[in-house]
Amino acid sequence: MAKGKLLVIFLMLAIICPVMTSCFDAKEVDDMGFVIALGLDKGKTNALRMTLQIAKPMAGENGGGGGKDDLPYAQFSVEAPSIFSGLNMINTSASKQISLTHIKVVVFSSELAREGLGPYLHAMVRGREFRPNMPIVVARNSAEEYLESVDPKLVVNATKYYELVYQSYKYTGLIPKVEFHDFYLSSESLCKNPVAILGNTAKFQSVEEFDLKDSTYLEHGRSEPFEGDFYAGDIPALGGSRSENIGLAVFDGDRMVGELDGTNTTLHLLCTGDFVHSYWNIPDPLSEGHYVLLDIKQSRKPRHHVEIVEGKPVIHLTFNLEGDLLSVQSTIDYEAGDNSMILESAVESYIIDQLLQYLDKTVNEFQSDICGFGTHARGLFTTWAEWEAYQWKSKYKEATFTVDVNFKVRRPGLILRSKSSVTSESGSDTQ
Amino acid sequence: MDIKKRIKNLLFFHEPQMEKPFILKEDSSSDGRDNSDIEKNKEGSRKKKNEDLLLLKKLEKIKLTDKKEGSDKEEKPDISKQLSENKRVIEERFSIPLNGDLIIRKFDITVKDSVIAAFLIFFDGLVDTKVINDDILQPLMLLSNLDIKSDGENILNYIRSHILPHNQLKEARTHQEVIDEVYFGGCGLYIDGLDTAFTADVKEFPSRSVERPNTELVIRGPQEGFTESLRSNTGLIRKRLMDQKLITENIIIGKRSRTPCSIMYLKDIANDSLVAEVRRRLKSIEVDHIMDTGELEQFIEDNPSLPIPQIMATERPDRVCTMLTEGRVAIVMHGSPFALVVPITSSDIMYSAEDQYLRFPYSNMLRIIRILALLMSLLLPGIFLAITNYHHEMIPTDLLLAILSAREKVPFPSVVEVFLMEISFELIREAGIRIPGPIGPTLGIIGALILGQAAVEANIVSPILIIVVAVTGLGSFAIPNFSAGFAFRILRFGFIILAAISGFLGITVGLVLIGLWMVNAKSFGVPFVSPVAPRTSGGFSDAVFKSPVWKQEKRPDYMNAKRGRKQPHISRRWIKRDVESNKPDSEDNNG
Repeated sequence: MAKGKLLVIFLMLAIICPVMTSCFDAKEVDDMGFVIALGLDKGKTNALRMTLQIAKPMAGENGGGGGKDDLPYAQFSVEAPSIFSGLNMINTSASKQISLTHIKVVVFSSELAREGLGPYLHAMVRGREFRPNMPIVVARNSAEEYLESVDPKLVVNATKYYELVYQSYKYTGLIPKVEFHDFYLSSESLCKNPVAILGNTAKFQSVEEFDLKDSTYLEHGRSEPFEGDFYAGDIPALGGSRSENIGLAVFDGDRMVGELDGTNTTLHLLCTGDFVHSYWNIPDPLSEGHYVLLDIKQSRKPRHHVEIVEGKPVIHLTFNLEGDLLSVQSTIDYEAGDNSMILESAVESYIIDQLLQYLDKTVNEFQSDICGFGTHARGLFTTWAEWEAYQWKSKYKEATFTVDVNFKVRRPGLILRSKSSVTSESGSDTQ
Repeated sequence: MDIKKRIKNLLFFHEPQMEKPFILKEDSSSDGRDNSDIEKNKEGSRKKKNEDLLLLKKLEKIKLTDKKEGSDKEEKPDISKQLSENKRVIEERFSIPLNGDLIIRKFDITVKDSVIAAFLIFFDGLVDTKVINDDILQPLMLLSNLDIKSDGENILNYIRSHILPHNQLKEARTHQEVIDEVYFGGCGLYIDGLDTAFTADVKEFPSRSVERPNTELVIRGPQEGFTESLRSNTGLIRKRLMDQKLITENIIIGKRSRTPCSIMYLKDIANDSLVAEVRRRLKSIEVDHIMDTGELEQFIEDNPSLPIPQIMATERPDRVCTMLTEGRVAIVMHGSPFALVVPITSSDIMYSAEDQYLRFPYSNMLRIIRILALLMSLLLPGIFLAITNYHHEMIPTDLLLAILSAREKVPFPSVVEVFLMEISFELIREAGIRIPGPIGPTLGIIGALILGQAAVEANIVSPILIIVVAVTGLGSFAIPNFSAGFAFRILRFGFIILAAISGFLGITVGLVLIGLWMVNAKSFGVPFVSPVAPRTSGGFSDAVFKSPVWKQEKRPDYMNAKRGRKQPHISRRWIKRDVESNKPDSEDNNG
């Protein structure tokens, strides 16, 4: 009896395993080439020009050394009609089978994005090798150039670079939070439009070339540019990787319709609730020409309230923010009760002002609901058919906004009371 | 035709022949019939009770037949009054003069002017000759000449009560009794004119003294281990467990070897049906020779094909005592330094003796580590294979690239690599045990180090695999039960094959099958994964984690002990201010 049972168990084992799956899809890791970044441009000879970065496992093994050829990855380019046929074409020259399971980023050129990404997005959703959480980048010039500019000499581990650099929205607020899956869903959604990270190769090669002609500081009404007043590639900076990520690409459906700079990206993050914390320069309310530096956090997710008045969306936004004082240039004592109230209300009105400008831009310039207010509007309709008939995306351009910001200063940092520095002249005055 | 039938038999469903297995039930306690009669009136479905009754009756029948057989053997005196006749029988039974080490010492006893012939038999080497000389021969040959005060009607009584000063003197009516004693280090004394022989326990086996146990070492706790002689082993248990109700039943196993064994249990705690079942299984064993509890274990275990041991074999008297107090039954065998304890559950094989002695946070940490060790020992190479062959997307890219670059120069597929390393690891382990003396462990370590290093240098295996195999090996040795370590090592190979065939699906199938196998198993009537499935009170918390000693109030539920409670709800009575410290109150404890 027991022997029979055992036999049956082994028979079951023997039958189940090969039937349910097949051992022949087993692939050794070292037989695979793992793509870490994929770039898509418009091709010269074909629809697409694909750029693949394939991780080279032996790189970094022998520690340092080696000149320019010791890259942590190999870059391949091919012109093909579609993504998967491109993979096939690359496999003719690459010794290892290409695997997309560890892809870290997909970069589209803005040229391609402006034509519409629909066909590529569908292929990527269908192909189960693409990770749903990889970021989507739109390169302002070409994707190939952007990927090349990730300088491998300074970035020892390319995969780590890609993993970390697109998470920087958590502490800079200068790029949006983009995951492929959300991107795809928004592009097909009735109530939301996708955004992508705006990237480009830095245009400055040396300090002499620095200029501010592409900065958006004038647009924001400032006399000098803040950190966010740039589009990708325009920042006057040198060193590090030459690929820059700042700002976002605005989409309408699967088609790119415009760009936003870093400052507006921070406001975008605030509106979607993905904002974590970042540093803000606020004009000093009591001392002209000075700034108060604050580390602003989102203390609660923003509240969206959407109404439809006479067929037009009216959107109320409430933000709860808090901040730490980082620097008070004017040495005004903002730690004290009354002054801190003044500062708080100044910050509130400043942010409201900025937010309204940003929202105005999405309505008038792009006519694209990239913040997803439509998701809150859906509940106002009793049936799906009514919601479809309303056509939110086309009505968004008529939207009006009211914004409410609650801001509290929480901590003054390690300085409990601001005091102006004592010089030999001022010393006698105060005493 | 025959083959056709066989294949048919294999493939088609058969109604299993219901042979009722032993199940340890709650209500078949001390006076089984009375209890079940009462309870029958009280509650419960009648059918179930009937089954119980049937079972009980069966058990009793078995008991009765046992007794009958026993009495047949024992109560048929075959010792003759003729000394020469007895001597002939003895010589025949011991194959004299072929047998060289049996000593037959003939002598005369002078009692009241009459001279009685007698002879003494014993095995040279099993007995203490000084005791024989001083306590048996000397009194019989010399002291009997002294002035005798009473009237000697009964020589037998006279000799027993006056002449022989030896402390363990038994009368035997059959030759077999004498022979059993002689083999167990006693001596037999035949006296002319008596149809009774005397046996005296004068054993002094060549045996080692009580040493540290070899397998179950602990840091905190007693350091005594069992030895190879039965009585010193039972003595070690009794010394530690000074409970009046501790019973040591003697039983002889082996038709020819007649190896003495002892069943030990606490009479008012251990479930009677459990004790009866142990007794029944031991008595039913028909075998010529039996040498060790390792063999005995295989004779009495429920599921011989299950790789995981279902009987605890331990070298530690303290461990046996702890388990006895939980209502389990221990079997000690002459010649084996391992005692068997039944029944156990799957969680018992993950416990070490030390758990009870350490403070509970420490022992809980150790248990978590052991569970990790078990999982690693069982699954790690399989998971490694599954990931590197099928599920590349599951691990962080950096780790994947590290594995990739490590494997780049290795010529074999990773399955071959894993098998190569696992087999060489087993080789090192086995060789380490066989290599004589102190070089064994050293050579093992050196072998492992050099082999691993050289294999990596030669690009035969990847360094990451060495780490996997080493961690797996460590894991398998962190499992406190020796046999269970074996079991998981064997199963690990199964998982390697399954993972190589179909990745995580294979591993899942393997886990499900092993789960079914274990859930189906029983150890002396107790479901093997007991506190978890079937879930009993205490359940998960007791099976995995240990509560502090003062909170361990109940015996394991699945043991169905006669007394469920070990200690009252508040056992640290000092925490109540009004209780005087030196007021002993034993009633509560027994309640």
